Amino acid sequence: MSEIRKEQNSIPTSKVERSAKFVKTGFKIGGNYIKHYSKKLFNPDLDKTELNEDNATDIYDSLSELKGSALKVAQMLSMDKNLLPKAYTDKFAQSQYNAPPLSGPLIVQTFRKYFGKSPEQIYDKFNLKSNNAASIGQVHQAELNGKRLAVKIQYPGVGDSISSDLKLVKPFAFRLLGMSEKELDVYMKEVEERLLEETDYELEVRRSVEFSNACSVLNNIVFPEYYPELSSKRIITMSWIEGKHLREFLETNPSQELRNQIGQALWDFYNFQQHELRAVHADPHPGNFLITPEGKLGIIDFGCIKEMPEDFYEPFFGLTSTDILNDREETIKAFRELEMILPGDNEQQIDFFYRMYHQMITLFAKPYLSSTFDFGQTSYFEELYGFGERISKMPEFKQARGVKHFIYVNRTNFGLYNILHELKAEVKTDTYKPHFAADVI
Amino acid sequence: MATIESIQSAYIDYVLTKGEEPKSVYLFAKENEMTEEEFYRFFGSFEAVEQNIWADVAQKTVTEIKTQEVWPQYSSREKALSFFYSFFELLKSSRSFAVYSLRKHHRMLSHPRVLDSLKVIVENFADDIINQGLESGELADRKFFAKRYKDAFWAQFGFILNFWIDDNSTGFEKTDEAIEKGVNVTFDLFERSPLDNLFEYGKFLAKNGNFKQKMGV
Repeated sequence: MSEIRKEQNSIPTSKVERSAKFVKTGFKIGGNYIKHYSKKLFNPDLDKTELNEDNATDIYDSLSELKGSALKVAQMLSMDKNLLPKAYTDKFAQSQYNAPPLSGPLIVQTFRKYFGKSPEQIYDKFNLKSNNAASIGQVHQAELNGKRLAVKIQYPGVGDSISSDLKLVKPFAFRLLGMSEKELDVYMKEVEERLLEETDYELEVRRSVEFSNACSVLNNIVFPEYYPELSSKRIITMSWIEGKHLREFLETNPSQELRNQIGQALWDFYNFQQHELRAVHADPHPGNFLITPEGKLGIIDFGCIKEMPEDFYEPFFGLTSTDILNDREETIKAFRELEMILPGDNEQQIDFFYRMYHQMITLFAKPYLSSTFDFGQTSYFEELYGFGERISKMPEFKQARGVKHFIYVNRTNFGLYNILHELKAEVKTDTYKPHFAADVI
Repeated sequence: MATIESIQSAYIDYVLTKGEEPKSVYLFAKENEMTEEEFYRFFGSFEAVEQNIWADVAQKTVTEIKTQEVWPQYSSREKALSFFYSFFELLKSSRSFAVYSLRKHHRMLSHPRVLDSLKVIVENFADDIINQGLESGELADRKFFAKRYKDAFWAQFGFILNFWIDDNSTGFEKTDEAIEKGVNVTFDLFERSPLDNLFEYGKFLAKNGNFKQKMGV
């Protein structure tokens, strides 16, 4: 990250300005459609790739200028590769690494506000130029007592603007995801809760310490050391982890063995949390991981934690890891508990959703069925995306289904699968298995 | 023995507890156990005391930011930002006085007179950093306009000061945002922009390119 990026000069923060930004995007997208259809008049074979690319660029430009939660939404959308056309996701993937930084004096000001001292007085060395953006904050390099540190600083006013931002994103999410309003509301509320938690850096430090302690039994995983006394509501100080982001790592053509090792660490990390801690680091976008020169996986962001309550965990993982799926009645019972089948459904609907969700969960659980699974095989992912695309076009799925916990749990697991696929890793999938209160099913 | 500082703090204490300025210098001096003469040795009037308090904050700000280690590395834009952040951080400790002093004056077209001496300091500072910016090429040297940059800086100062007076967000976070945004916009305008290029291009076309003949004029 040595290249000097132009610092962003204006951050639209009032709602009016943000709206203006989105309206502008709306106009541009409208323009892109006109461009597309006028070209199509002369060339009927033209497919929508170019149009999608134009739209993605414009949406990305406006989202990255908005920063904060809007950028977060961009990151989220980019996770759901199965829901979005390729052009969108490529463009959004950029937001996982780059967003323009804030001015040096504002950073100094933030430190003086929370510690009464300037960063130079607190650390032996502090680099005022930020290393990279962390969507609601930015990361700086510092040094204290010979130790390299990473200091994360949150933008002012992020918490305030989250709710109004999400309202603004809504119409775009309608268009992009093709969801119904009710479904979107469930989604938005859950997202809003998680995002607001993420703005609480004191909470994040507490959780980071808890989770890194709990996960210290795992192999090939490293966590930064946290410094609560040098952290505050808007600042987190942790030790610096040397390493490469996933994409940079893959560019070095790592050996299959190394890729498996990283993949295994990632798999263990997630399944240990899901089944042992019942709470999971729910932000598996590549920017939150670093691969160290020693071939270990560094985990650097615990802002987003999803806790899984009993009444979700039991029926859901019961489906994926026992033979309930072979029993139609038991399966339908579990689907009802998870609100995938609703009380008002008639026989025909019950049958339809039973078949669809049965297929979906069978697909999802496939890696768990054998003791090892090769995430490098494209056929599995094609099947997965193909299925996602098919159901996203079915009118039956326009209605809200499934409890809200699915949003983050699905995001986490599909995010995990996606990263493992990019790694082309083969992993042992029986390391940390689900277990239940009444282990007799 | 009265000093500038002791008179200032006695005055601040008086106006904040009584909610108005003393009836006369005589009364004020008597209450604070000094002679009227002592008061006049330092200040000509109560207004002068207030002017002095404001000017002090600005002067302290300028001195303080210049001692920061990063100061020489800052661009003009960052120096301006740094000035604003530090000024309002310092002013926070005398916010009650600031609010009293500014609210006392009805909003007029120009700035209240209590800010007269402060204005000189702020404008000198603005002049300094703007000239540095012009020399380094960070800011665009435009005929006529470059001389008005410091007026824009002063207008910005007035705007943010008013914003801060009415700001009730925790830790005055909104003021931080107002500074970051406002100063950046102002400095964007000071920098060379596409409009300058457009203007240059227009001038070029007007002089060359046989524009007039081709248009049939």
